[in-house]
Amino acid sequence: MDKFSLYAGQLLSFREQFAPKGHRACQGCGVALAVRHVYKALEERVKDFEKAQWQIPWQHTVLAPSGKSTTEPALLSIAKDAQAGGTLYICFDNECVEGKIDKDALIKKQPAIAVANSFSYVATACPSHPFDLIEKVRRGWETAGQCFIHILCPCPVGWEYPFESTVRLGRMAVESRLFPLYEISGGFYHITVDEPNPRPVSDYIKQQKRFSHWKAPQIAALQDEISAVFSQLEEKATIAK
Amino acid sequence: MTEKTFKQEKVGCYLLETKKAKPFEPGTKPELKPEWDKDLCVRCALCYLYCPDAAISRQEDGYFAADDELCKGCGICHRECWFGAISMVKEG
Repeated sequence: MDKFSLYAGQLLSFREQFAPKGHRACQGCGVALAVRHVYKALEERVKDFEKAQWQIPWQHTVLAPSGKSTTEPALLSIAKDAQAGGTLYICFDNECVEGKIDKDALIKKQPAIAVANSFSYVATACPSHPFDLIEKVRRGWETAGQCFIHILCPCPVGWEYPFESTVRLGRMAVESRLFPLYEISGGFYHITVDEPNPRPVSDYIKQQKRFSHWKAPQIAALQDEISAVFSQLEEKATIAK
Repeated sequence: MTEKTFKQEKVGCYLLETKKAKPFEPGTKPELKPEWDKDLCVRCALCYLYCPDAAISRQEDGYFAADDELCKGCGICHRECWFGAISMVKEG
């Protein structure tokens, strides 16, 4: 491996803007990791970012897509420059649903709602794919108009898995096509991270104790719905080509 | 320096004005701390990218090290290192 001397991670700046003196999140917090990546993406673009320590206005809201299932994410809204206009909404979704979790909460509908509301840029991202996330946040920052980015943040306390698996579980959600990474820019769909041989979703389910009450038929139903939703998405993406 | 505190100004938890949070040092010390093996490390910066606590920083020689005060010992860097260069060691 000595042949390679340059790695993509080294191209980022090593200045730390996010919480330089510590924060109150748990061990292995996915939300803290995602917020740090968002800071990394915007640190050269937002003015007065050096002094910022969670200085951007944020709201803690409940997004209810279907009435039946709710996800309770933190919603960060960044007002853009007068030049670009509009607002960049970033949703940090840790899926901490009160009560029982069912498959409606796992398959996200918020990006589709944003598309229906004619947002100019909509994307999904996950901190397990940091460069993809950084690229999308920057693109959302540069696009004029309302932009929405939905970030899946694994939560070791809420999902009940060992702390060190945070990044691994995010990657599993992407690889099993449960949370496909795509972007919609000007009505055109583009799948940014595609897995030709998807991982069975049972791998992802069995890692977490919050699904301990799930039986085989529920997992099979979820797998069917994942493939149905992803084929719809693929169809929309091929039209764009 | 006057200390700024949170004040709700409008119904709906809107913060009209941004205010600076106070610096915070995690008080509890974790059991395990990451340690780098420089023979195996290729300086790919993956551990730096995946640290949620921003505890890992680049040293002058290009290798990485964790800040004792900020590290919470979650072990993500140990799990994500491709080359097995990071091991979690018990303190003391």
